[in-house]
Amino acid sequence: MNRDNSLDSDLGDFDTWDDEDSQKNRYLTFRVGAEGYGLEIRHVTEIIGIQQITEVPDMPNFVMGMINLRGTVIPIIDVRLRFGLEPREYDGRTCIIVTILNETIVGLIVDEVSEVADIPEDSVEPPPRVSRGANSRFIQGLGKMGNEVKIILDVRKLLYDEDPDKAGQGEQENG
Amino acid sequence: MSELTNDNIEIIQDFIQESRDALEQLEQSIIELGRSEGDPQAINVIFRLFHSMKGTASFLGLRHIANVTHAAESLLDQIRSGQIKLEIPGHVDLFIQASDFAKEALVYVENHLNDSGMEDGAKTLTARLHGAISGRSAAKPQVPVLELSAAPVKPSQAPVAAPPVMEAPKAPAPPPAKKETEFFITPEMVERFIQESDELLQKLEHNLLEWIKSPDSKEVVSESFRNIHSFKGNCGFFGYADMERLSHQMENLLDIARSGASMDVSHAADTMLQLKDTLRNAIADASQGGSGAIIGLEALVSLLEEEAKAAAPPGGEEREVNRIGEILVAEGVVSAEDVVKALDVQSKPLGEILVDLGVANHDAVERALNKQSQKEEGAKPKTAAIKRQDIRVDLEKLDTLITLIGELVIAENMLVNNPDLSGLELENFNKAAQQTSKIVRELQELAMVIRMVPVSGLFRRMIRLVHDLAVKCNKKVELRLAGEETEVDKTIIEIITDPLVHMIRNAADHGVETPEERKNAGKPETGTVNLSASHEEGEVWITIEDDGKGLDRDRIIAKARQVGALEGDGSDLSDKAVFGFIFLPGFSTADKISDVSGRGVGMDVVKQNLDKINCKIEVSSTKGQGTRFVLRIPLTLAIIDGMLIRVGRSKYILPIISIRESFSPNPGVITISTDGQELARVREEFIPVVRLHELHRLSPDSKELSDGILIVLDTADGNIALFVDEILGQQQTVIKGLSKYIMDVGKVRGVSGCTILGNGDVCLILDVRGLVEATARHG
Repeated sequence: MNRDNSLDSDLGDFDTWDDEDSQKNRYLTFRVGAEGYGLEIRHVTEIIGIQQITEVPDMPNFVMGMINLRGTVIPIIDVRLRFGLEPREYDGRTCIIVTILNETIVGLIVDEVSEVADIPEDSVEPPPRVSRGANSRFIQGLGKMGNEVKIILDVRKLLYDEDPDKAGQGEQENG
Repeated sequence: MSELTNDNIEIIQDFIQESRDALEQLEQSIIELGRSEGDPQAINVIFRLFHSMKGTASFLGLRHIANVTHAAESLLDQIRSGQIKLEIPGHVDLFIQASDFAKEALVYVENHLNDSGMEDGAKTLTARLHGAISGRSAAKPQVPVLELSAAPVKPSQAPVAAPPVMEAPKAPAPPPAKKETEFFITPEMVERFIQESDELLQKLEHNLLEWIKSPDSKEVVSESFRNIHSFKGNCGFFGYADMERLSHQMENLLDIARSGASMDVSHAADTMLQLKDTLRNAIADASQGGSGAIIGLEALVSLLEEEAKAAAPPGGEEREVNRIGEILVAEGVVSAEDVVKALDVQSKPLGEILVDLGVANHDAVERALNKQSQKEEGAKPKTAAIKRQDIRVDLEKLDTLITLIGELVIAENMLVNNPDLSGLELENFNKAAQQTSKIVRELQELAMVIRMVPVSGLFRRMIRLVHDLAVKCNKKVELRLAGEETEVDKTIIEIITDPLVHMIRNAADHGVETPEERKNAGKPETGTVNLSASHEEGEVWITIEDDGKGLDRDRIIAKARQVGALEGDGSDLSDKAVFGFIFLPGFSTADKISDVSGRGVGMDVVKQNLDKINCKIEVSSTKGQGTRFVLRIPLTLAIIDGMLIRVGRSKYILPIISIRESFSPNPGVITISTDGQELARVREEFIPVVRLHELHRLSPDSKELSDGILIVLDTADGNIALFVDEILGQQQTVIKGLSKYIMDVGKVRGVSGCTILGNGDVCLILDVRGLVEATARHG
């Protein structure tokens, strides 16, 4: 029933890229705030529009709750809040990227999905050693695409890594 | 069986399955044998189990298994007949080893479809068993112990080890009864018949053993009757006249028993158990293309007739003499020796006897046998239905089915409660919807029970464990089981197995004291561990209780301080809190580490495992009197009756089973205690009020208690009155677990899972016990 607001069509033959080789060096790029980000395509299962989210109590503030994905209940996190940015109204461009890490399925709310891009291995730089921002811990690498730079995110760290500065604030209000 | 066809593989797999079932019973009986110091009942059971395993194993060419079971059987037979005195624990240990060997061999067979890799183990064990046999007093003639040869053995030619006097082993009979109507029976049909008959006989055996245990059970008799009846029907259909005749007679006897006539049950059942073996042998013969004929049929039939006569309503006299050989000996017609000789001859196939007598040559007999089996392809028509009682299904398929049914329930909810339909006049639709709902509900119920299995298998495994532990620790421990028929989900059985082993181990090793200590404490020398299962409060409770020395509160407190889990002297802590420390990692108060337990890696692992299925552990203990653990396992996978409630914009499901009542409170019933806890007065009771909006930080319609509804929730740990805005109605709820991610990153309190509502929204299911506990902590 979520198919209606699925954005699969915008991404052409997205569904057909399921073979290992063709996934290599492919990234789903998206935007949160002013920055462009990328996720390895092998972690992405689908992209759906924003929908009714049921809140779950006693969660870190970036965990928005759970949604019903065709009969499966999956948790949803807001990448904006994960980065410690200000919350923003969801609009028609807001998307949920459904990711899979091992067997855990989690939906990521992002401001806008851009495209699936090839970034060859030699165009990906390791993350900067020294960084002021706390968010640098999510970075897996920096991908150069022409003039642009996409920040490639490490899904595991995005989901699980505890914020060293904010440790202990996990239970703060989320409603 | 050199070439393995699919059919054969299937037979082997069936054999493995059956043997595993048998082994469970076997272990129990062997331990019983040791405990009862040679109970003839136990000997019989063990004998039969080894015997039937041997039969099938040799049929399948699994000669190592066959050799070991055969040797064990021979030893048992000698013990049974009094020629060897049962040595405890020597012989009991041997039998246990044989049973262990069989278990191991089955694993090998499962992987390799033969047992060639088990040769060494088999040799050693067989030698030891034979040693036990030949070690007996040499006064009596030695019964030859045979090694089954490497070549596939035709059971019809393998002498059955020391048959009981009455058991007349199969042998190709003189020309079988001619069949007028010949119609085509395929080998596949015969194969199926053999398999089925074997199953029926096994069931019968089980029934008969049950019957001996509970002679008054009509049910068991009826079931035996049904089994032998189907067996008879099948035999008739395939034209095995002798088997049909004998089983018919057994059926008659059971019919008499069913009609309520008094009879010596254990005697009748014993006789029939022997006859069952006779039938089993005949079936084995038939499986090799033999005629399934039974020598001495008339004697067996008349024996049953006698039994039936004795069972006449006034109640039969105890009859001592029942075997034809014994009767003849008693009447002085022949000597006992002659009978043994005669039996020896009797046990040989007729063909061999003829060859031995020199009246026919080997080839001629072989030809005759071939001819005979060809003639057997006829049968008289009979309308006996061949029914299979169960099939084995891949668990994965079952899981998919159950998931699908869960989805169906949600889809049905979404359809019937579709917002598009609201306000429409839908008489026909509603009728159809109702019908659908009914079917869906039935499907749900089925889905819930389909994966349920009784805990008996799990429990029985513990008998062995306790036995071994008791021997190892030089203690006397008896394990008592109760509620074995309680059913829980199969996955739950898998998850609780390890924890249960740990806890039983603890109970026997740490809990129960040595016999001297017990004597000094004025307790019986034998300690008791009770293991029981029951349904309580919509959960399954598994209780492990010992009458040992109990938990030492002071020592636990001392240890807790030592590992830094506790500050202060702990005197203000409740027993519950103190006993909770034993679940901390690395926590052990054992003085010495035994090789059984005491490394302190037990209870925390237990807890971790049980947490996986949301199972709660309760500990209670009285020093010097014992310890009691209760595992409270929620019925997961379940579809529960839920009550949909609302607080502000949020909806929740409450399990109806926990709801006692609900009411709209007027201000008069609310009292505020000194610590600020609101209490609602319900009749003579003051119940703490829990505001769900505070617990889950919601914005309710109103914070005034009188504007909303109080729902009184009842649990074993206490009551609470939950304050909500509104009750929306009852709803069938498919429980879905919370995502592991949610559990990992958050600390969800008072929520046990979630479900999907009719409109597709996700809704949390409240964990009533969690709510009560949260209140108890804060209140």
